[in-house]
Amino acid sequence: MNSEGDALRDWRTLSLVVLALVVLIFIANIHLEIRGEVEDVEILSRFSHSAIISFIMVNGALFLVTLAISHKHAKLIEQALGTLLATIAGMLLFGLFVDSGITVTGVATDVWSQFAIGGIRIIIAIFAIFLSFTASFGLLLTLVTGREPPPDPLLELESISFDTEEE
Amino acid sequence: MLVEEYLLTHYWLPLFLLPLGLGMAIATERARRLTGAVLLILISVAIISYPERLDSSLEGWSLHLLLSMIGPIAALLFGIWFALFSGPIPVSPMPRGLRPFGFALMILSAAWFYWMLFETRPAVDGFSNPWWQHMVSSLLTSMIIIAGFGAAFVLVMGDERNKEAVIMSIISLSSFLLLIYLLAEGTTSDDPVFWRSSSWGALGDLGGMLFGGGWAIALFVTFVWFGEKRMGVPEDVEPLTKDESDRVREILKENMEEIA
Repeated sequence: MNSEGDALRDWRTLSLVVLALVVLIFIANIHLEIRGEVEDVEILSRFSHSAIISFIMVNGALFLVTLAISHKHAKLIEQALGTLLATIAGMLLFGLFVDSGITVTGVATDVWSQFAIGGIRIIIAIFAIFLSFTASFGLLLTLVTGREPPPDPLLELESISFDTEEE
Repeated sequence: MLVEEYLLTHYWLPLFLLPLGLGMAIATERARRLTGAVLLILISVAIISYPERLDSSLEGWSLHLLLSMIGPIAALLFGIWFALFSGPIPVSPMPRGLRPFGFALMILSAAWFYWMLFETRPAVDGFSNPWWQHMVSSLLTSMIIIAGFGAAFVLVMGDERNKEAVIMSIISLSSFLLLIYLLAEGTTSDDPVFWRSSSWGALGDLGGMLFGGGWAIALFVTFVWFGEKRMGVPEDVEPLTKDESDRVREILKENMEEIA
């Protein structure tokens, strides 16, 4: 059985693997950008818009789920009010960003158009993440459960005798 | 800019109400579960009855992308279902002969995706879907990380799972090579310049999602913690009354006599 230290070491190893893969993807992108032409995608604008819209979406979704599961015995006022206020704060921050000229190209510079294109991009990215998660872990589950278990030695015992041959 | 009314009623409002429907559908009360199920059906109907052509707006193109992927996704899900439940598991087992068919469906799903990627990019009347490259870049990037994590996970946590780790590593590595190929060579319909731009944009979006979503969840945990803290310590339980004590004594006496 793993001790607490072993579990910590295992998760640290897994985190390092994920970090290494992320670095590898960035290196591949940078290397190929140096080699060839690339459009200016304004990665910082995309990052900031995506972060704020995700913040709004997650808080909004949590607020609605809180409303959906609330009942008279549940004391959910803090999380309902908190998530609602966080959603509103996120919206105001996004409006401030767009009004300050931090916008993404390819769409009108008004707040709704910027929010809509960012929102659709996030929805498609979530769809892609779900798809890769289902494909990877679905296959992994199929492989892991496919191993035949060793025969149970208890099944070889006679019903009238509880002694094994080894004894 | 004013948003079109049909986009509000057939796209944004159903998406907005989706968490409410899902939350109600998993509630403990039966009436609320029923309301949630009805709401989810209404959401599906609103999206399916999208009144305009799918190439008339960016929202419509996103629905077109999901529709285009139905074939490979269905093959993948059925493949996993058949292969999983026809294996040596005790839960609702299917005939063992279905297992190779399940894996064949998974391979068909991958082949179908590659065919779409290199030969028939989703399009309407000759106009290519503008979200395709974003979806593929996000899919391959997340596949590299998730399959790589899966490989390391079974190796570190599992018991003699080398075969599984090798297969997951192959999936992660082949996704990485495919992404590299797209960035370097492109496809017949798209120049590599567009793939590079798309990949950078997807990295920005995924990083932003991780950052913003992570902050939102951390904030939610803080709100729950505040709520728990404000509730205070539960009051002391009142001692038993004389009647309650007599009743307990009576029950104990009956049971002790039976044992004796």
